[in-house]
Amino acid sequence: MALICCGSGIVPAAEQDAESIEFFERKIRPVLVSRCYECHSADADVIQGGLRVDDAQAMLRGGDSGAAVSPGRPATSLLLTALRYDGMEMPPDEPLPKHVIRDFETWIRSGAAMPDLAAESDSRHEPVTEPGFDWDQAKQFWAFRPPTLHQPHEIEGHDTDRSSWAATKTDRFVLARLSQHGLSPNPAASKSTWLRRVSFDLAGLPPTIDDVDAFLADDSPDAKLRVVDRLLASPRHAERWARVWLDVARFAEDQAHIVGNNDSLTYPNAYLYRDWVIGAFAADMPYDEFVRDQLAADLRHPADPDQHVALGFIGLGPKYYRRGDPEVMADEWEDRIDTVSRGLLGLTVACARCHDHKFDPVPTADYYAIAGVFASTEMFNRPLDDSVETKAGQAKKPQDAMHIVREGKPRDLKVMIRGDAKRLGESVPRGFLTVLESTDDEARQDDGFQNGSGRAALADAIADPTNPLTARVIVNRVWRQLMGTPLVATPSNFGALGAPPSHPLLLDDLAVRFMNAGWSLKWLQREIVLSSAYGQSSEIDPAKSELDPDNRWRWRMPRRRLSLEGYRDAILAASGRLDATVGGPSIDPQDTSTGRRTVYSQVSRLDLNPMLARFDFPDPNAHSPGRHETTTPLQKLFLLNSPFLIHHAARLADRIRSGDPTDRGRIEFAYRLLYGRPPGDEELGLAETFVADGSDERWNGLAQTLLISNEMFMLD
Amino acid sequence: MHDTFSRRRLFLRSGAGFGSVGLMSALASDRVFSGDPSVGDGLHHAARAKRVIFLFMNGAPSHVDTFDPKPMLAKHAGESPNDHSIDKKNRAGGYMPSPFKFAAHGESGVVMSELFPKLADHADDLCVVRSMHTDVPNHEPGLLLMQSGHQQPTRPSMGSWLSYGLGSVNANLPSFIALSPGLPVVGPQLWSNAFLPGQHQGVEIDTNHSDVEKLIHNIRHPHLSRSDQRRQLDLLQQLNQIHRQQRPGEASLETHIRSMEMAFQMQREASEAFDLERESQPTRRAYGDSEFGRSCLLGRRLLERGVRVVQVFYVKKNSKQPWDTHRNNNSGHEKLCADADQVTAALLSDLKSRGMLDDTLVIWGGEFGRTPYAQVDKDKDPKKAGRDHHHTGFSMWLAGGGVRGGLMHGATDDFGMHAVEQRVHVHDLHATVMHLMGIDHTRLTYRYSGRDFRLTDVHGRVVDDWFA
Repeated sequence: MALICCGSGIVPAAEQDAESIEFFERKIRPVLVSRCYECHSADADVIQGGLRVDDAQAMLRGGDSGAAVSPGRPATSLLLTALRYDGMEMPPDEPLPKHVIRDFETWIRSGAAMPDLAAESDSRHEPVTEPGFDWDQAKQFWAFRPPTLHQPHEIEGHDTDRSSWAATKTDRFVLARLSQHGLSPNPAASKSTWLRRVSFDLAGLPPTIDDVDAFLADDSPDAKLRVVDRLLASPRHAERWARVWLDVARFAEDQAHIVGNNDSLTYPNAYLYRDWVIGAFAADMPYDEFVRDQLAADLRHPADPDQHVALGFIGLGPKYYRRGDPEVMADEWEDRIDTVSRGLLGLTVACARCHDHKFDPVPTADYYAIAGVFASTEMFNRPLDDSVETKAGQAKKPQDAMHIVREGKPRDLKVMIRGDAKRLGESVPRGFLTVLESTDDEARQDDGFQNGSGRAALADAIADPTNPLTARVIVNRVWRQLMGTPLVATPSNFGALGAPPSHPLLLDDLAVRFMNAGWSLKWLQREIVLSSAYGQSSEIDPAKSELDPDNRWRWRMPRRRLSLEGYRDAILAASGRLDATVGGPSIDPQDTSTGRRTVYSQVSRLDLNPMLARFDFPDPNAHSPGRHETTTPLQKLFLLNSPFLIHHAARLADRIRSGDPTDRGRIEFAYRLLYGRPPGDEELGLAETFVADGSDERWNGLAQTLLISNEMFMLD
Repeated sequence: MHDTFSRRRLFLRSGAGFGSVGLMSALASDRVFSGDPSVGDGLHHAARAKRVIFLFMNGAPSHVDTFDPKPMLAKHAGESPNDHSIDKKNRAGGYMPSPFKFAAHGESGVVMSELFPKLADHADDLCVVRSMHTDVPNHEPGLLLMQSGHQQPTRPSMGSWLSYGLGSVNANLPSFIALSPGLPVVGPQLWSNAFLPGQHQGVEIDTNHSDVEKLIHNIRHPHLSRSDQRRQLDLLQQLNQIHRQQRPGEASLETHIRSMEMAFQMQREASEAFDLERESQPTRRAYGDSEFGRSCLLGRRLLERGVRVVQVFYVKKNSKQPWDTHRNNNSGHEKLCADADQVTAALLSDLKSRGMLDDTLVIWGGEFGRTPYAQVDKDKDPKKAGRDHHHTGFSMWLAGGGVRGGLMHGATDDFGMHAVEQRVHVHDLHATVMHLMGIDHTRLTYRYSGRDFRLTDVHGRVVDDWFA
């Protein structure tokens, strides 16, 4: 035992008596593992203070403060000092019970026996640096500078000679970029191509045969304008665009997990929020109002509870398992921050939960300033009406409730060090992102964030016309929907790691004009679809393609694939089953007995409908910056064999055959109905041959073939 | 370098965005991805395993009753663990010794309990890890962490990552398939692609069914014969070709045409792959007729046909997590292990006899372990005693696929409470599985939401002790 007193090393396991080792195993090691390893072992992300307690040698050698344990001498063992909260305090959250500390004292006094683990013993250090932010410099980044109006003639390469091509101000920005790169725009698409394009883009449905005939016959200069105004006024338009927003809002009607047969994690009335979004688009609610209401309708319109369904934007978000646990709540706040910051601001603020954002000027303190707003807000099962059973003001059953939010107990959060809910740093007052804060002193003094939860202030800060991001982000999303690819290729990340805009002046000019037009989304859509850039053909010119293969400078309209919504709705329209009812409870999109549009599909976080899942519907567990497009054999199996396709093909076949008595007339009708054009000679011949025997099977087969052909779901 | 970056560049250069990725991954052999014959089947380095089957014991098996004998539990039976991090009420039952006898097996002397008499014959193939630990003792986060490396349902599953990294070998079958008789707890998030492109999502097969039509939706037309459907498809493809010819240079149109053709072929391929009737009687008897047996036999057929990742969930029709033995731990484990033992041993024998075990990685385990101390009811009937969730030390095993057989890795303390030697976190398991499959877990990343995500996040250590 002499070795022990020298303090030069821990006795090898073989030489220590079994009883001491057992004492260590029973009394000491479990405490080390459960209370110390997280920060002081080889597995720790950062070994705190350079001290490891999972290895005898490392423990003896100690950390930054010196040896942790002096075998035989409790009084000089730093470990014990820290456990006693005498100068150092370990574990940091609360001291160990007294009897446990006594165990440690006993163990050290009797020689601190522990088996030599012979584990690797290099201490790992990671310097923790505190980068300060240079706010003035940070605000110079393009996305943090306020957008301003521009004149296209300011642009080098602006081509006045060809300005006659330009139908809108937007076009002159596009033309300038094309000229700079030695490109010219494609010729205009045919009238029928344009009509089909704009009908799907604005209303999510193909033009009817009558629509096509009327437009082809209309040679007046404002023929396009009339079409656009008709489409924008249609209820179909609001249904189509609501879905775009629901992707942003990660809308769903349940949670990703169930507990037994408990239905408390479902939102049977979530459709009311979806219908509110449809109503908002139909009314062309100004986008700033639209945003404000979704964050704070209860505070803005306390006397008008009908408007509070807008709060589903937050209230229908994910609720994770084991709510009440601080870590789980921290995860939920992250969801809210992620949806709000990426969805509305195009910033990845959630990156700053554990450390200052590595690339954007978002310190951890800013993250917790916003998190405090959500921590001060609580989920609320608002009773649908006075008749339902309630408990403490909330509906007892989810069937009787609208799941929204309300004010909770206002509180500021402490920074969680490295995102650890158990390791708390300084308290941060509720607030907004420093880099986006107004420099106006007066505005800063009037700190609405201390008013209740601060949600109203958060809503105002986001929807403020001086916020440089909000308008740009939504303009970019709308542009992407209509033009196929966005101006900023990363629609939910306008930060340093996002892509810079391909047409920065155009983006800024559109953003400012959009705000000046009263944040009108219909104005924005009209501006874009009436442009010559939008009206171009999608033909691929090999020479231009060589210069700009990705069509970054917009020399053509990209050929696009319909979303699942557009495709399914077009099938319903073709088979004559489309149901024009607006709003109401959700449906199963595979159900052949319903003709309701796809926007009304049930959206589940737990078990996403297989038709939606198969066709690139985004995972509703998180905000979706934009959909991926996949082409898989499983999708094609659905087209070939699903009851849905077979049913609608049969209905379409009936519809075709009930019209014209001749095969040729029927086939021509089908082409005009589905594709908005007559068939070519070769197509006609192939189809006529296929149905020559006149059987039901062949007509159904032809109808299905036309429904699943590439032309059906591709837009030129 | 032949890293993911060059892969992504390859995709981008094809000019059609993600639409074309689906086709490439559906069509391509792995070699297309690496472009470097020197790394063989791997993405970053030569792969030791070409495919993986993860036998997941939903609910979490008890380590001290299966692979981690703790005689000290008998010596201190009934004593309350000295661990104030556990609620006093929960440890009131005291340490509970395992009633099952443990013995060393094979030449290597790998130890397991008498609950695995058949698996014992494969002792020399097993790499038993006794020092697993995970973050939370709750099923949902535990399952998600084990399947996706993250506690919340927002990240791609390991199978999706492997599919993304390696692509598919068989153009006519998905590269990642999840076999489960009904949904396990948490459900589809366990095989979710999350933000990865959609074709990397696990295709879920409900193995309560044995009909091919019910196993894969829409695998067959309800009434058209193959020749009639072929005729219809010929018309479709002719029309598609006319459409395509009028739109020169549009690569995605060709993708759709080929994908449709693949689907048609897949009807036959999948019908064959999913049809257990085609197996011999002795083989079917060896696996038995339990849900788990059917899943594993089907899993082997799929692996044989080029599916990369098969995830088998040990779920029963009436129980989404049968291994969750809060009550009747001992009788529960007897029953569950009898089934698991037979099926798992049959699978290992079958893979071996087909020469597939060498490059097929088999993984066995649950989301965590169970407490070495008892969980007792109010009536304190020791016969009904269960074990609670336990995450700070538990066991798993791996076999085949370049793993060193006959190895016992790591240790928990004398009571099985905490992994203390050669600890292996779930992230380390993921890192090692990826390594075996030819992937550097730090380099397989996907840019999403402003940062590069990976399966192991900022964690994960490759445990090279396990390599053969």
